[in-house]
Amino acid sequence: MNMTIAWITARGLLGRRRSWLLLPMPVILIGITAIGLAFEAEAADLADGVLIGLGVAVILPLVSLIVGTGVLGSEIDDGTVVHILTKPIPRSRIILAKLVVAATVSAVTTAVPMFVAATMVGGVRLGLGFGLACVAGAIVYSALFLALSVVTRRPVLVGLLYVVIWEGLLSNVVTGTRTVSVQHYVIEFASALSGSALFPSTVSTAVAGVMTVVFTVLGAWLATQRLRVFSVAGETS
Amino acid sequence: MSERSVIHDIGYQRYTGIRLGRGYAARSLFEHGVRVAFGLGRSAKAKIFPWIVIGLVTSLALIVVAVKAQTGEMILTYQQLPSTASVLVMVFLAVVAPELVSRDLRNQTLPLYFSRPLARSDYALAKLAALATAVWLLMAGPQLLMFLGSAFTAENASGVAAEARGMLGGWVVATLYALVFSSLAVLIASIASRRAFAAGAIVVVFMITSPVVGLLAALGEGGALSQIAPMFSPFSLPEGVRSWLYGTSFDVGPYGPVYGLVTLLSITVCTLLLLLRYRKVSL
Repeated sequence: MNMTIAWITARGLLGRRRSWLLLPMPVILIGITAIGLAFEAEAADLADGVLIGLGVAVILPLVSLIVGTGVLGSEIDDGTVVHILTKPIPRSRIILAKLVVAATVSAVTTAVPMFVAATMVGGVRLGLGFGLACVAGAIVYSALFLALSVVTRRPVLVGLLYVVIWEGLLSNVVTGTRTVSVQHYVIEFASALSGSALFPSTVSTAVAGVMTVVFTVLGAWLATQRLRVFSVAGETS
Repeated sequence: MSERSVIHDIGYQRYTGIRLGRGYAARSLFEHGVRVAFGLGRSAKAKIFPWIVIGLVTSLALIVVAVKAQTGEMILTYQQLPSTASVLVMVFLAVVAPELVSRDLRNQTLPLYFSRPLARSDYALAKLAALATAVWLLMAGPQLLMFLGSAFTAENASGVAAEARGMLGGWVVATLYALVFSSLAVLIASIASRRAFAAGAIVVVFMITSPVVGLLAALGEGGALSQIAPMFSPFSLPEGVRSWLYGTSFDVGPYGPVYGLVTLLSITVCTLLLLLRYRKVSL
């Protein structure tokens, strides 16, 4: 962990106007929950449709994707990554600093509104369950998308394909793929932490816990390895 | 002293040929846009993403044809194909729309375009038309495939004619999808100069609306609210028009014409905003 790199990354991420475009998503999540409650929707409908359908399935992966590929990907894109690479800093520390910043930003932007929305739906315990589950999800997704941004030149598109096709379509149709789907780990964490019966959990807690750690470590390790042999090139097609 | 200085005639001439003008430029830009959408004339890397999506949509049609040949049952009608493939179409938009407009912003080539006879509106409309055509081809191609597969298994000429009518209906629905989706996507992409960010923004706008609409529709419990709610997502807006025209999708009640109007309005507003966006292009 290198504080200077973390600081530069955080500034590069948040100091730009476009990062404020992330804000509407949490607002929409809370707003929709409020509308649902105003129409006296059932808690189970809200948990399934809004908290999971919108929060866990859409907002969490997309925020993590934009942030996770942005921390390193934008520097690779405009070539300024050279300045970091030429400093005598171990690659693992660069990756660690980037990962911490990405995970923190994604976790704050998703877990806080999820906590608020889930508390509105089913009390503080459900709120804490969803909030903490989103923190865990943000860490895994950040590690995966950080690794993607060093593995491929088009990390956002590969990440989108993964989110839309693997997490969105396959893991909900082909049930066997759920054991390797971050979305279902998050749902399982939320279910285990809140003890709520509003929504069914789909994988076992042990599998979710172990796989979360495995994916995070694997992502960070892969990113470090790829950054070791990284060759700087201009923008290609 | 020095030799007498002379001016040599080295053959400078004025261009006297035909000047192809604005229409030709706009047409070229459109044609180039369609080629870019499919990565034609570009490196293999540029072809990967569009053709992954095309492959997936085509395989959907192939499955339909295979099942139809085996069991005689059509598991997916021509008109259902666009809505089944709509998430894939969104990925296609996220790949292609930034490629068409964000690249020009990033590489600052717009001043070069606009120093030609090409008008600003021509540029915007050519890009929009190129994307809409590409998206339409993405859906209409597999529909044609389904038609060919079904036509060969049909028993008589009237069966083939029925299949052809079905395909034309499917093409109408595909056109609706293409116009609604691409006008929105080009508008979003034209604001972002970074391709990655434009792709993310398109997906966020498209995906965030559908759970919201789903909840509102569930809240309405089949009443007026659940008939109106699908209007607010680009995924379900064309479906509503399909329901109005053919009555083959979800229940829209008496609001069919409203769906038609909102669709028209959505396309018009997005196009106008796009034209407005290119009124002033800073360096």
